Amino acid sequence: MGQRRRVISLLCMAALVVSLLLGCGGESAERSGGSGDGDSVVIALDPGSEPEAGFDPAYGWGAGEHVHEPLIQSTLTVTNTDLTIGYDLATGYSVSEDGLTWQVTIRNDVKFTDGEPLTAEDVAFTYNTVKETSSVNDFTMLDHAEAADDTTVIFHMTRPFSIWPYTMAEVGILPEHAYDSATYGTEPVGSGRYILKQWDKGQQVILEANPDYYGEAPKMKQVTILFMEEDAAFLAAQSGQVDLAYTSATYSEEEVEGYTLAAYESVDNRGLNLPAISETTDSEGRAVGNDFTSDVLVRRAINIGVDRQEMIDHVLNGYGSPAYSVCDQLPWYNEASEVTYDPEGAAALLDEAGWVLGEDGVREKDGAQAKMNLLYSNGDSVRQALAADFADQMEELGIICTIEGVGWDTAYDRALSEPLLWGWGAHTPMELYNIYHTIEGNTVDGKDLAQYSPYANETVDTYMDQALAESDLEEAYTLWQQAQWDGTTGVTQEGDIPWVWLVNIDHLYWVRDGLTVAEQKIHPHGHGWSIVNNVDQWEWEE
Amino acid sequence: MRKQINQRQKAKILAAVVTVVLAAVTVCGILFTEAAMETDFLSRNQAPSAVHIFGTDWMGRDMLFRTLAGLSLSIRIGLLTAAISGAAALLIGIGAAVLGRKADASISWCIDLVMGIPHILLVMLISIACGRGFTGVVAGVALTHWPSLARVIRGEVLQLRQAPYILVAEKLGVSKMRISAVHMFPHLLPQFLTGTILLFPHAILHEASVTFLGFGLSSEQPAIGVILSESMQYLTTGKWWLALFPGLSLVLVVLLFAMLGERVRKLLDPASVHE
Repeated sequence: MGQRRRVISLLCMAALVVSLLLGCGGESAERSGGSGDGDSVVIALDPGSEPEAGFDPAYGWGAGEHVHEPLIQSTLTVTNTDLTIGYDLATGYSVSEDGLTWQVTIRNDVKFTDGEPLTAEDVAFTYNTVKETSSVNDFTMLDHAEAADDTTVIFHMTRPFSIWPYTMAEVGILPEHAYDSATYGTEPVGSGRYILKQWDKGQQVILEANPDYYGEAPKMKQVTILFMEEDAAFLAAQSGQVDLAYTSATYSEEEVEGYTLAAYESVDNRGLNLPAISETTDSEGRAVGNDFTSDVLVRRAINIGVDRQEMIDHVLNGYGSPAYSVCDQLPWYNEASEVTYDPEGAAALLDEAGWVLGEDGVREKDGAQAKMNLLYSNGDSVRQALAADFADQMEELGIICTIEGVGWDTAYDRALSEPLLWGWGAHTPMELYNIYHTIEGNTVDGKDLAQYSPYANETVDTYMDQALAESDLEEAYTLWQQAQWDGTTGVTQEGDIPWVWLVNIDHLYWVRDGLTVAEQKIHPHGHGWSIVNNVDQWEWEE
Repeated sequence: MRKQINQRQKAKILAAVVTVVLAAVTVCGILFTEAAMETDFLSRNQAPSAVHIFGTDWMGRDMLFRTLAGLSLSIRIGLLTAAISGAAALLIGIGAAVLGRKADASISWCIDLVMGIPHILLVMLISIACGRGFTGVVAGVALTHWPSLARVIRGEVLQLRQAPYILVAEKLGVSKMRISAVHMFPHLLPQFLTGTILLFPHAILHEASVTFLGFGLSSEQPAIGVILSESMQYLTTGKWWLALFPGLSLVLVVLLFAMLGERVRKLLDPASVHE
């Protein structure tokens, strides 16, 4: 009897061991599944990149703060690698003399993935829909869109808007016949390079190449996007589960076997606003303006008193470039924005402004200390470190700079009276407008001010208004540049300098050896889908 | 013959030592707050060494100073919140027992209500409502930690009310206020003190956890919760010292407070006073 029991237990043990071994084997097989089979790729992006409302351009897919190509849908235009305008669906466009009518002709050989042809009706439908529903993009300049015939669409504008082609590069075209706002986000039908095959919310998205795509067939047939926190993405690269994983300067000193750290230039900048008016309160009772930074000499001193390269070395481990404007290197960037680090010059400016160095190393004026409080968003370690480094550098100039972490719920209001560390950088000159142009109705003490930080300059406003009204895009670039500095006034060092730009953060990725990532256009703000813009052109080495 | 130290003396010595250690940590922390916020980007991410015993973080801040400053901040917040909670518990507890049936019913209902909601959730909600930061955390922790002590005191007072000397006082026409202040309070003191001291560890842990979750103190402040939540980002790259030392220190401080409470109870509780 005892003998028998022993045999049975031995058998059970054996079964257990075998099943355990099998279990392990299964797991390791899965692990190696991440590597490329030649035409598929697995990418780890941060969880914030997962589109909450799904893949519906009317609800922010591809547009908004973090602009990228919608992949599943086609757009009328695209931005080229040098950020000029190219064509996707469009075959040409023209604008009327008064800037109020845009006429765009489109290809006639495009089909949605359900087989229906894409016509100008769909385009008009899309723009009228996004105008009504988009919460992330401003479409107030569009009155309505209409289809003149199957391949011609006409946009009627409410005001001239010369950079309309940049907006057209953001809006994915919806199928009028198959659009239901309730379900489209999860079951999108488009005409783009990829089809949404599977979406496990909170985990992954699987895209499959569109076999009927009108352009060059995608080389990557399957793209899997995993949404992971930064540390998980790092571990996933370490264990070989992904082919490309986003990462940051925190991990840049690590080494991952079989992977190379790739750094892509960006206009993902960090900078701070310096309220340009004296302290007062607005109609809602919020504090607006800052007595210390309202002096233009102080703002100029800060701008040339910041050693941007030191920040890059200290905080970004060298993975970044100095920022002098919100749009460095883009076609509308004015090179007059660039300044050199000059601590003596900064000291001289502060002396001139009446802020004299006291015995304790702190500058004083009329008994008051040179003091500012720099805000940054809680939980962002890079911004915190940049703020801390900035504060150290200000101390050398004799300015006491404290730093304070705040949540975004209060940050916007507080930035009206105190400097805040911001991140910007988009593929449209509209950003200059958003930052520097006054907003009608945003009035303090009878004067219209810009939206995010109190500032107003009529000349700068006029240039930007002219730029929007200009019918020729090249001419408009020049006007955008003049808004920054026209030789006498502007928002640069010799001008009003209401914002000081610090660094552009390189976007870092672990890339599996053998994977060739196609040439990237300069990445905008947001470390997300931008990298995937041209995933159809990526290749595995044979 | 060896001199015997009895339990009571042992407890006294231990309580004294613990108090001194905690006071020293608090004072050191206050003195080193400046140093804890000092950044030195040239000595980033250094493992523990002779210069930086606890290592440095990603901004080159010394983790020893940060830990001390964080513990000090925690202890001070703990003191403040325990004091507020304790006082509230005492008043509410006595009130429930003395002010009559209706008051007792409504106060008991309040106690059940607050105890029924998970602590950490309530702390978070109150902290957000009060604008986070120092005020938020103190309000959150102080307003959630009184119920259990209040319940103990209420029970104690209910018992006391039947005690002969209280009944006699009542018959002699002594006012209710005077009875509670002069006759009841001294009797409640041991329970109350022990309970209040034992609130500390709770308060400190809740302060740290609510800050860790991002609903408490702001991230530029050297608080243990902030330090621990920051360290999470760096654990995968093997920077173990960022979490280990501050975490251990927090546990140690909490243990010390628990020990202190235990000793004080031993010294004051009639049942163990002659051990």
